[in-house]
Amino acid sequence: MRRREFLKVAATGGLGASLGVPVYLRQAWAQNPIKIGMPAALSGGNAQYGIQAKRAAELFAKDIKAKGILGRPVEFIYEDTAGDPATAVRKAQKLVEKDGVKFLTGVVLSSEALAVSAKCPEWKVIFMSTINGAGALTAKSFNRYFFRVNTSGPMGARAISLYLAEAPLKRFFALGSDYAWGRDSVMSFESQITAAKKEVVGKDFPPVGTKDFASYIAKVRQSRAQGCYLALPGQDATIFLKQAHQFGITREVKPIMEIVELENMKTVGEAMVGTIGSSRYPFTVDTPKNRDFVKRFHDMHGTYPDMFDGETYEGLEWLAQVIQKADTAEDVDKVIEAWEGSSYEGLEGPFLMRKCDHQAVQLGFVVEVVKDPKYPHPVPKILATYPGDKVTPKCRTEEFA
Amino acid sequence: MAFVAEQLLNALALAALLFLVSAGLSLVFGILRVVNFAHGVFYMLGAYFAFTAVTVSGQFWLSLLLVPPVVGIVGALLEASTLRFIYRRPPIYQLLLTFGLALILEESVHVLYGPTAKGVDPPALLQGSVQVLGAAYPRYRLFLVVLGVAVGVAVWLFLTRTRAGLVVRAVAQNSEMADCLGADVPRVRTLVFGAACALAGLGGAAAAPMTTAYLGMGVGVIVDAFVVVVIGGLGSFGGSMAGSLIVGAAQTWGAFYLPETAMVIMYAVMGGILIFRPWGLFGQEE
Amino acid sequence: MTLARTRALALAALAALALLPWVLARHQLSILVDLLIFGLFAMSLDLIMGYTGMVSFGHAAYFGLGAYGSALVLIHFEPPIPVALLAGALLAGVVAAPVGWFSTRATGIYFAMLTLAFAQLLYTVAYKWRDLTGGSDGIAGVPKTTLFWGGPSLAERRTFYYLVAVIVVLSLLACHALVRSPFGRALQAIRENEHRFVSLGRDSRPFKLVVFVIAAAFAGLAGALFAPFRGFASPEVMFWVLSGQGLMMVITGGIGTLVGPLIGAMVFLLVQEILSSYTEHWMIFTGAVFVLIVIFLPGGVVGAARRWFEARA
Repeated sequence: MRRREFLKVAATGGLGASLGVPVYLRQAWAQNPIKIGMPAALSGGNAQYGIQAKRAAELFAKDIKAKGILGRPVEFIYEDTAGDPATAVRKAQKLVEKDGVKFLTGVVLSSEALAVSAKCPEWKVIFMSTINGAGALTAKSFNRYFFRVNTSGPMGARAISLYLAEAPLKRFFALGSDYAWGRDSVMSFESQITAAKKEVVGKDFPPVGTKDFASYIAKVRQSRAQGCYLALPGQDATIFLKQAHQFGITREVKPIMEIVELENMKTVGEAMVGTIGSSRYPFTVDTPKNRDFVKRFHDMHGTYPDMFDGETYEGLEWLAQVIQKADTAEDVDKVIEAWEGSSYEGLEGPFLMRKCDHQAVQLGFVVEVVKDPKYPHPVPKILATYPGDKVTPKCRTEEFA
Repeated sequence: MAFVAEQLLNALALAALLFLVSAGLSLVFGILRVVNFAHGVFYMLGAYFAFTAVTVSGQFWLSLLLVPPVVGIVGALLEASTLRFIYRRPPIYQLLLTFGLALILEESVHVLYGPTAKGVDPPALLQGSVQVLGAAYPRYRLFLVVLGVAVGVAVWLFLTRTRAGLVVRAVAQNSEMADCLGADVPRVRTLVFGAACALAGLGGAAAAPMTTAYLGMGVGVIVDAFVVVVIGGLGSFGGSMAGSLIVGAAQTWGAFYLPETAMVIMYAVMGGILIFRPWGLFGQEE
Repeated sequence: MTLARTRALALAALAALALLPWVLARHQLSILVDLLIFGLFAMSLDLIMGYTGMVSFGHAAYFGLGAYGSALVLIHFEPPIPVALLAGALLAGVVAAPVGWFSTRATGIYFAMLTLAFAQLLYTVAYKWRDLTGGSDGIAGVPKTTLFWGGPSLAERRTFYYLVAVIVVLSLLACHALVRSPFGRALQAIRENEHRFVSLGRDSRPFKLVVFVIAAAFAGLAGALFAPFRGFASPEVMFWVLSGQGLMMVITGGIGTLVGPLIGAMVFLLVQEILSSYTEHWMIFTGAVFVLIVIFLPGGVVGAARRWFEARA
């Protein structure tokens, strides 16, 4: 082309480019979100937990919308695993390879978590647990891509054992569902309670999905225990508490739970008042930050946050801080380095991410279920708070000092 | 002594619940020759509908009366619109159709009610406990026993003493002959299917105050129902009564003495019966 | 459908299988491997369901046994993959023998219930025998090793895919040969009318037992491929829900056609995979589609395809 035309084109191009550059940059910014994958159990028997992870993420997405992380928007991609480990791995792989996520969270079952976490070194993505309690995840099955923000099963058992060591109750019956968590929890409880010079007068392992606990209730009554330690998953616990109340045994034997869920309180209602136990996140924690969170949560979802709602939110907030600190959302190794040893001021109190096994050291809460006219259902009242170093096991183990 | 009485009552209450669920399953097999995999889901529907009915009306007894027919109608409608067309096919098709229906119904409940369990409170009359030989026993469980017996007697009377019951039994024995003799076989099938679903729905509605209504309760109960029906005899109403008592007792005492192996023993017994006496205790030898 | 046409289709399918890994994205290839593995599972079920007329509610147990067998061997000894495959298939076949011996004493619905009872028993064992099977958590971290001692690593996805594809195709050919053999024809005679078979002086039980074990071994082979591919084995792969899905896969594809269930499994899983990304209530649609297939397409996908081809001929 001739020189004049060339100059004209160049001038127009230059002008256009200089005008267009901010637009281009803006578009690039909008097209470069930080993606967080959530392969959660959104259907099937565990859907009530998957939905908590999703609710927390939705609130977090709204809260962070204004400034984003590193100036970038955050995008959550949800996938339904139906509570099946094979599907969980498949969905997680899709999230990593097709959607390009570098962060996975929201996994519900420990079996799903173990399967997905084992793949993370291969995929080079961070797995953030906010729900999974299995001790093995930070012990036998640990890998450096795994981070656990939530209170683990052993930590919950530890908190309640510390409380019971001081309490007047001396004789306990232990009821754990016949699967990994139930058995581990009872074993942990038993060793800690006997170390506190108290007695476990009986234990039983009903199959998962038991719908009639009458015989177990009879056994508890016969054992003349003063307290009954329960490590039953959500629905089984609901059924047990209801039936125990119907048998009138809750007047004589105090139900003690390794996790006290709001879901139980909503469904069982007043029949559960008086139950004590460990809570990973009791929404009644009285700090300004938490009160504000509970209000925002209730405004958005119409219900009060349960344990996994709170812990998932805390995990996401912490992850955002850590990504900000590492100044990258792509270089996973840098994020891991930034996270190890970092502290975070959460809704329930301070957190510290241990470098040796990526378990977040945090406060342990023992709560009692009480009636409160401010709320439509019973709520957890905090009875005791234990500092993190007292309730967290030794590195890469499930034992306590 | 109080303990023995308590365990006995526990076994009877559980047997009553199992009976309500499995009677329908057995009938459907006996008369339609279909293993209804969706049967557990109708049990769940009964529990959830009971929750809605009690929440809306505050009336437990009324709900208990109205929920089963509603569940029965749902079942009958499904049968008439799907199963009815494939009776001439090999049984695997009918069986798998019920499997597909189970998926649809289970997930529909999830859509309608959400993932969390729903509690149902028993009426004031049935709350609390009575003293049985010195121990406190829940009134509601006693009610379950009474309900189970009442329903058992009622259905048995219907099948043996009424003309309609006679027609149903005739279709069970030989549907072609019954057809020749003027019985409206497709209609009988739909009605029986609906009645079986209604029974399951009654079971669910009755169970709800004791177990709450929750997703997955259908899946949980169907295996128990299969065990009961196999032991009692597929197609035999009396068999489902006997089977419920046996399984109820076994689960109650098994849970007390051998909780971890109780299920294994149940499967072993089920297997044993299928191998040596497949028609169960009261079924018809084929 | 003419032989030439069948051959053409088969060649096209083989070509597709060979070329797809170069065309598909990485995670799509993973899904394809999944489809092939479960396709093999469904195909093995068709051996007893479609050709011998025995409906099994417990077939997933053998898939699970294969998975556990392979997982345990790989975790403890890390041999080449084919050794693990053999271990899985053998474990499944060996357990299937006594189960089959007992189960084949019954027929029809009673046989089906028996397979369910045995499968639930095996599931309970896997669930509770924590020391061996990891209990409800299962066994994670199963490695992908090599093709043979000192041979190429199978960690690369495409390589593993080819292994799976080759095994599935060979299995299909083997089963195909089996059902065409005199043994296979005897099976079909049993399916058509067992009483007549017996009245002609032949004992049906050994046939049923042998095909039951063979089907279990192929299911075990599928499971043995699953464990290193996904890196874990857990009790869910033995649960009766998977058995039920297996039955659905067979019907969806076309009962009694071998390649039908293979396709049926792929269709079933693909539909599930796509739907579940859109809604968590995907089960309603899967159930509805399946009900429609049962009512309107009893011959499954393959049956419908055949009719379509014949209409055009």
